Amino acid sequence: MFKNYIKVAFRSLKKNKVYAIINILGLALGLTVTVLVFLFITDETSYEKHWSGYDRVYRTGIKADMMGQKMDAPISPSPMANTFRTEFTDVETATRINTVNQEIMVRYQQTKVYIQKGVYADSSFFKVFDYTFVHGDPNTALKEDNAIVLTEESARKLFGDKNALGEVVNYDNRRDYIVRGIVKEPSGQAHFQFDMFMASNDIRNVWMSNNFHTYVKLKEGVDLAVFEAEMKRNFMKKIEPDVERFMKITVEEFFKQGNAFEYQLQALADIHLYSQKDWEIEQNGNIIYLFVFIGIALLVILIAGINFMNLSTARAGKRAKEVGVRKVTGASRKMLIVQFLTESVIQSFLALFLAFVLIELFLPGFNNIMETNLSLFNGHFGTTLLFAFLVTLGYGLFAGSYPAFFLSGFQPISVLKGDLTKTKSGALLRKSLVVIQFTASTILIIGMIIIFNQISFLHDKDIGFKGDQVIVVPIQTDAMTENFRNYKGIFLKNSNVLDVSRASYFPGDNPNQNMYILDGSDEQLPLWNMEVDYDFLKTLDIQLLEGRDFDREKESDSIPYFILNETAVSNLNIENAIGRRMGQIINNNGEKRYGNIIGIVKDFHIEGFNSPIRPMVLQVSNDVWFASFKIAPTDSKATISFIENEWNKLEPSHPFRYTYLDDKFGALLRQQENFGTMFLFLTILAIIISAMGLYGLASYTAEQRTKEIGIRKVLGASVRQIMQMLTKDFMKLVLISNIFAWPITYLLAKNWLSNFSYQIDMPILPYIFATIFALIIALITVSSQAYFAANSDPVNALKYE
Amino acid sequence: MIKLNKLSKVYRTDEVESTALNEVSFEISQGEFVSVMGPSGCGKSTLLNILGMLDKPESGSYEFLGNEVAQLNEKGRSEVRKKNIGFIFQNFNLIDELTVFENIELPLLYNKVNSSERKKRVNELIEKIGIAHRASHFPQQLSGGQQQRVAVARALITKPPVILADEPTGNLDSSHGNEVMELLCELNEAGTTIIMVTHSAHDASYSNRIINLLDGQIVSEKKSKIVQAAV
Repeated sequence: MFKNYIKVAFRSLKKNKVYAIINILGLALGLTVTVLVFLFITDETSYEKHWSGYDRVYRTGIKADMMGQKMDAPISPSPMANTFRTEFTDVETATRINTVNQEIMVRYQQTKVYIQKGVYADSSFFKVFDYTFVHGDPNTALKEDNAIVLTEESARKLFGDKNALGEVVNYDNRRDYIVRGIVKEPSGQAHFQFDMFMASNDIRNVWMSNNFHTYVKLKEGVDLAVFEAEMKRNFMKKIEPDVERFMKITVEEFFKQGNAFEYQLQALADIHLYSQKDWEIEQNGNIIYLFVFIGIALLVILIAGINFMNLSTARAGKRAKEVGVRKVTGASRKMLIVQFLTESVIQSFLALFLAFVLIELFLPGFNNIMETNLSLFNGHFGTTLLFAFLVTLGYGLFAGSYPAFFLSGFQPISVLKGDLTKTKSGALLRKSLVVIQFTASTILIIGMIIIFNQISFLHDKDIGFKGDQVIVVPIQTDAMTENFRNYKGIFLKNSNVLDVSRASYFPGDNPNQNMYILDGSDEQLPLWNMEVDYDFLKTLDIQLLEGRDFDREKESDSIPYFILNETAVSNLNIENAIGRRMGQIINNNGEKRYGNIIGIVKDFHIEGFNSPIRPMVLQVSNDVWFASFKIAPTDSKATISFIENEWNKLEPSHPFRYTYLDDKFGALLRQQENFGTMFLFLTILAIIISAMGLYGLASYTAEQRTKEIGIRKVLGASVRQIMQMLTKDFMKLVLISNIFAWPITYLLAKNWLSNFSYQIDMPILPYIFATIFALIIALITVSSQAYFAANSDPVNALKYE
Repeated sequence: MIKLNKLSKVYRTDEVESTALNEVSFEISQGEFVSVMGPSGCGKSTLLNILGMLDKPESGSYEFLGNEVAQLNEKGRSEVRKKNIGFIFQNFNLIDELTVFENIELPLLYNKVNSSERKKRVNELIEKIGIAHRASHFPQQLSGGQQQRVAVARALITKPPVILADEPTGNLDSSHGNEVMELLCELNEAGTTIIMVTHSAHDASYSNRIINLLDGQIVSEKKSKIVQAAV
C-alpha cells in the first residue's frame, strides 16, 4: 500500500515541478533555520559542563551601592579562597585567579612568543577546573612560586615538539618560571580561555581590595542557602576591621548611611548566559539573544509551514479527481488521510536532505558572524540528527494535516463531475494563513530596522573622544616607561605624528577605583581613577569644559593635580570644583596625597556603552603602560612604519604591537552587531519564504479564475482592470497583516531596547517603511501572475470546460 | 437485487431548492441490463449516484442485496460499494499519475488483496480486454477508446455483481463506442447486472430494459426492441 503512496507522491511532485520546488525549498529553508538555531542553543547551553562537578562550583561576587555608586562585579579579595578552604566544612576546595589583561612576551632561549591570555592562579586551580594534564601533576603543578603551566598550543609555540616539562622560560623580561605542567585545551567551552597559568599563592590579608576572582567547589549534598548565609556572616566579619580602618566608620554606620554591600554566589553554569556584571573575564553570551533566536526561528518555521499548507490546499483542485476516483474504487477517508500525510512527510524529508546541504554551506559564514564554532558532524551529531528527524516528521504531519483532512473530505460525486468551486471554507483559512505569514514577516522587517537604528545610534553616539586616528601601543619594559617622556620628541619629529600620550587603560581594559576626600568634608568619594600622561586630552580630543589641562611646565609629579569628568562633579555634588583641594587615599593606613582640582572634562565612554559613565578622575603619572599616538589621516601606513622603526630602536626586546583605538572600542559593540546581522539574515529568509508562498497562491488563484477572466475580457475589460481585480484581494490581506504587526512589534521592540543603557526613542519610520515594503513585495509577486493571466487569450479561457 | 421505494433527492443552495428525484420506485433483478434515459436535468445522473451509494437520498428506501442502505453513513456505504459495485464514467476518470496496470489494480489494493494475487488478476484481465501491450503506459499516452477499456477493466477487477455506467460511450467515436457496448453485453451475459445512463437510443438498444425519466420521475418503462424481438 505504501509503495503505491510513495510512487504517486513522487510522480505527483514531478508533474507539478514549480510547486514542488516552492514547497520543498520553503520547507528546507525553515528546517535549515531550525537546525542552525538548535546547534547554536546546544552550544550556548553547554558551557562549563565538561568540568567534573561543575554543578557544585560557584563564583563569588560583590554587589554594592556605596555613596550613590552601584557595583555588581565578580571580584573578591586575596584571602577569600583560602578562607573557604580552611574555615568551611562544606567546601571541597576553592581557588583564586587574577587575569593578565594584555599579551605577555614569553621567551625560551632564542624563541620569543607573545602569549595572550595569561592568568595567575593558586595551587587549587586545577582541582576546581580539571584540565587534562599531558605532562605534570595537577595537584602540585602550581605549588611553587615560580611554577608555570602551559597549554599544548603555547608549549608548541615555544618549544616545538620538545617536552617542555622542567624547562625555564622568561616572563616579560622580568622573571623566570619553570614549566611544571602541560595541559590540553578543555573539551568544552567556558567563560574563560587561558593560554598559560602562573602560580600565585601569596595571601595579603586585606578584605577591602578586590583584585581577584574566586571560585568555590562545594561538597555533595550541601544546602546552598544555608551555606551562602554562613558565608556572608563570615566574610562581613572579616571585612569589619578594614572598614573601620579605611573608612573610619563601623559597618553598622555604613549600612545606616543607606549603603548596601553584599557578598554573593553565582553558579558556574549560569555565568555564560546570565552574567552581565561589570568586569567579566570575557564578554559572555546573553540568554536574551537565545530567546530572540528561538522566537525568530519559530516565526520562520511558521511561515514555511503555512506556505506548505496553503499551497497544498490551493492545489487541491488538481487532486480532487484523484480523490473522487479513489473513493469510488473503495478508499476510506482514513486511507486517504494516510496517503496525503505520507506525501507531506516524504516532501518534508526531501526538504531535510536539502536542509543539511544548505547548513553545510551556511555554517562557515554563520560561525564567522556569530563568532561561534558550530559544526554539524561533531560529537553531538546523534542528538542533532534525532532532533532534526523528529522536527521533520512533526513538520510533515502538522503541515500536511490540514490538506490531508481537507482533500480527503471531498465527496466523490462533486469532484468527479469537475464541480470543485465549493471551497469557500478553504479560502477563508488560506487567507488567514497569508495574514499570519505577512504579520510575521512585517514584524521581522520592522524589528530589523529598529535594531539597526539602535546599533547605528551606539556607533554614532558621541563617545566623547576621537579614536579613528589614534593607535594604542602597549609598553613592555620598565625602561621604556621611565623614559617615555624623553622619547616623545623622537616621534613628534615626523610631521604626521600629531600628538603622543599615555594612559593606564584603554577601552576593553578595567579601570581602578580609589577613594578620595574633598578638603573641608569628611565624606569619602569613590572615584574611578585613570592615570594619564601629559597631552592625553589633546591626543584623544577630549573636550575640556572648565579650567585647564595638565601642564608640564607648571606641574611636577610629586604634587597631584586632578581633572574630573562631568559625572563626577554632578553625581558627587562637588560645587565650585575648580581650585578645590582634594586628597587621594593612597594606602591601607589612610594616608592621603592632596592636590588641586584643575579642570572638568566632558564625559567620555572609555568603557563602551553597556555601562553608564562613571565618575572619573584623571591624574598624571609616569607609571602608565599604554602609549597612544594620534596620526594624520594621510599616509597612515607610512607613519605607523615610522613609529614602529623608532620604537624598535627604543624597546628592542619586545616587538612593536599596535591597535587602532576605535577598533578596541568597536570590539565592545561586536556582540550587538553580530546579533543585528543574524537578525537581518533571518528576516530576509522570512521575506523570501513569504513571497514564495504568495507567488504560489497567486498563480493558483489566477488559474482558478481563468474562465472568469476570459468572460470579462470578452465583455470589454482591459488588461489593467483585470490586474487590479486580481491583486486587490491580496493587497487587502497584507494591509490587515500590518494592523496586527504594529502593536506586537512595538511591545517586543520596547522590551529589547530597555536592555541598553543608551537607547533610541521608538521611531515611527520603520513601521511605515515596513508596511510599504511588504505591500511592494506582495504587489510585485502577485502582479506578475496577474499580468500573465490578464494577457492570455480569452478563447483559451472559455474553452477551459 | 435492487429495490427503490419512494426515493427522493433534493438539492439545496442558499436560495434555491430543486427536486432531482421525486419519490422514484422500481426494482432491478439480478442479471438485468437496464438503461436509464431522459433529457438533460431529468435526474438520471442523480439516480445513478444514489444507486452507486455515492450520494444519500432525502427520503425513501433503497434495498441493495436485501439490505437497507439508504441512510448508511459514508463508511458503511464505502464498505458495500467497494465489494459490490463497479463504476464506468463518461470521462473515464483514470488517475493520471498511475500506469494502466496500477489504475486497474487500485480497487484490489483497497480491498486488501495481496500482491501476487493482484498481479495475477490484473494480468489476466488486461489480456482479456486487449490492452496488455500498454500496461506500463500512463493514461495521457492512450487514446480515448483505450482509456475507456482501462476504466472498464478497473470496474471489473473485483468481479462486482453490479456495474453502473454513466454515458460510457459519451466521449468515444462510434466504433470504439460499439466495442465498449459489446463488452458490456458480454459481461451481462456472464451474469453481471448492469445499469447504464445514456442519451443514445443506439446504446440503449443493447440493454433489455429502458426506464425513461423526466423531471425526477419515471414516466415510462419498456423492454428494449432487441429483447422484444428475442422474446
